[in-house]
Amino acid sequence: MCLNNNDISPNPSHFEDSEETIAAPAHRDVAWNDYKDLIKGMRFFDPHIHMVSRTTDDYQAMHQAGIVALIEPAFWVGQPRTGLSSFKDYYSSLVGWERFRSSQFGIKHYCTMGLNSREANNEPLAEQVMEILPLYIYKEGVVGVGEIGFDDQTPAEEKYYRLQLELAKSAKLPVQIHTPHRDKKKGTERSMAIALEHGIDPSWVIVDHNNEETVKSVLDKGFWAAFTIYPFTKMGNERMVKVVEQYGPERIMVNSAADWGISDPLAIPKTAALMKMRGISDETIRLVTYQNAIDAFSKSGQIDVTDFESGYAIDHSEKFHGNSILRGGQQPSPAKDSLVIN
Amino acid sequence: MSDIIKQNLWDIIILNTSGPEAEWLQDRAASSPMDLMTAFVAAPRFLSKKIISVNPDQQFTLNAEIPGFSVEGWSLVRLARVWLLTQLDPSDKEDYVKNIETLFDTAEMNELVALYSALPVLSYPDQWLFRATDAVRSNMGFVFDAIALHNPYPEKHFSELAWNQLVLKTIFNDKPINFIEGLDNRANEKLAITLSDFAHERWAAGRSVPAQVWRLAGKFMNPTLLADMQHLFDSENVDDQKAAALACNDSSLAPANYLLAKYIDLEKSVKSGTLTWADLEH
Repeated sequence: MCLNNNDISPNPSHFEDSEETIAAPAHRDVAWNDYKDLIKGMRFFDPHIHMVSRTTDDYQAMHQAGIVALIEPAFWVGQPRTGLSSFKDYYSSLVGWERFRSSQFGIKHYCTMGLNSREANNEPLAEQVMEILPLYIYKEGVVGVGEIGFDDQTPAEEKYYRLQLELAKSAKLPVQIHTPHRDKKKGTERSMAIALEHGIDPSWVIVDHNNEETVKSVLDKGFWAAFTIYPFTKMGNERMVKVVEQYGPERIMVNSAADWGISDPLAIPKTAALMKMRGISDETIRLVTYQNAIDAFSKSGQIDVTDFESGYAIDHSEKFHGNSILRGGQQPSPAKDSLVIN
Repeated sequence: MSDIIKQNLWDIIILNTSGPEAEWLQDRAASSPMDLMTAFVAAPRFLSKKIISVNPDQQFTLNAEIPGFSVEGWSLVRLARVWLLTQLDPSDKEDYVKNIETLFDTAEMNELVALYSALPVLSYPDQWLFRATDAVRSNMGFVFDAIALHNPYPEKHFSELAWNQLVLKTIFNDKPINFIEGLDNRANEKLAITLSDFAHERWAAGRSVPAQVWRLAGKFMNPTLLADMQHLFDSENVDDQKAAALACNDSSLAPANYLLAKYIDLEKSVKSGTLTWADLEH
């Protein structure tokens, strides 16, 4: 089990980064009322967010801010798993309970399935996980194999990364690559080289958690470049605006990767608002906060934009269950500012 | 399960699939259990997303084979999944049960719906009792519906305790209980008494109870329920008054009949059959 990293980490979340970045947070407070008009009518697609760690308040705020669909990649959940059943239940929750929970808030939920790099280091368990993974990757709404790749860049991580690339190939699914926090540049290059070595078309691969140092090479090689807007430890959205100004919108997408750490499920709407303020065109904003993610993950054949493009209503999902009387149970919106609870 | 059901389901599939879709299903059904199970999972990748149409003859035949079993309003994927399950070889019980259990353990929501819909056609029906009661515990609306509504499995196999939970949770979730198969057959006194307690809680909270639930009370009228009937007759909601009249009419107790007789118009419509429980099924 890969725990060495936790000993030195001030914040054992999805994203640790160098102290240098922590010392210079590229982040500032923006109140909903300050930016809601800037993004009025915009729709957003968050291609990387771990809703399993988020609250119903987050879901309501996301829906209000215009997020109509999201992708929840399978990852590690902070507490190392000790048995296959924990993996099984986690994978099932991504396509079961979490998907249902999301639908109650009017947000279409997709996921990617994979064995994360950290837990790939627990080889006896990783072997068992690989055996059941095929049962999950073919499920409805699974739009890729992910998030996979390197963490410590150990031989075990490489072994299971390669095995899962082959799995993605045979299932005809896109690949969502998690790039390492430490030694990122080399790790990113290595991840891409191995994908190419396995004969995977780079237009089927989303390289995630890019920064100014990695983006050029990723785009030059024909991969999709995803950027995670994550306070303190990752990209700030002001830096993101500069990246888009420099590289344009092609094959670039923004995500929040919000999880149990100090992260922001509204990272995409906020970034869109900031782009709007800085004079970036509506079309460019639409591409990097919505369309590009859809184009990349639609290769799975699992995304039907009519499910969410004009707002995802519970009635729509119901039609495939064949009974318009029955409610899957959309959550009512309580009045948050009211002292009286009914 | 019977070969007739398999054939009936296939006949409906044929009417709702393209050539390649039907071929894919046939091919998968003839493969190894693991491939068949993967096909169960992967079905939405190979079949169109649509609601099937069933002609009345087909529905009649299904119902003749398994009373209460219906595929009305199902998606093609759901029907195909249920049919695939009927193609699993049940001859080795241990393998068969293990395979179905694996599908349950790894199922997403729509797969669970298909699995629970399939309970009436699976072999070894007693094996699935725990799963079935677990679906009643589910907070996923569609999963709950798949076991509770239009499904003949609970009527046949649930204990009274499990049955009452199912009915109460249906009421609690504000779903129409007339869609529960076997509602009248499995009516029981305990359920009627619990229903009264439940209604009192709702009334205390200033909330209401759907009028048709009182159909569960008529045969088990007692002083408490009679007082509830009076409460309903006094309600401003016309449906509540109708429900009280119908429930009193279902009772053979004299006090219930005296109470009903006080409401001449209602009594008339109930006795003449112009008012029935079906009028409250909404």
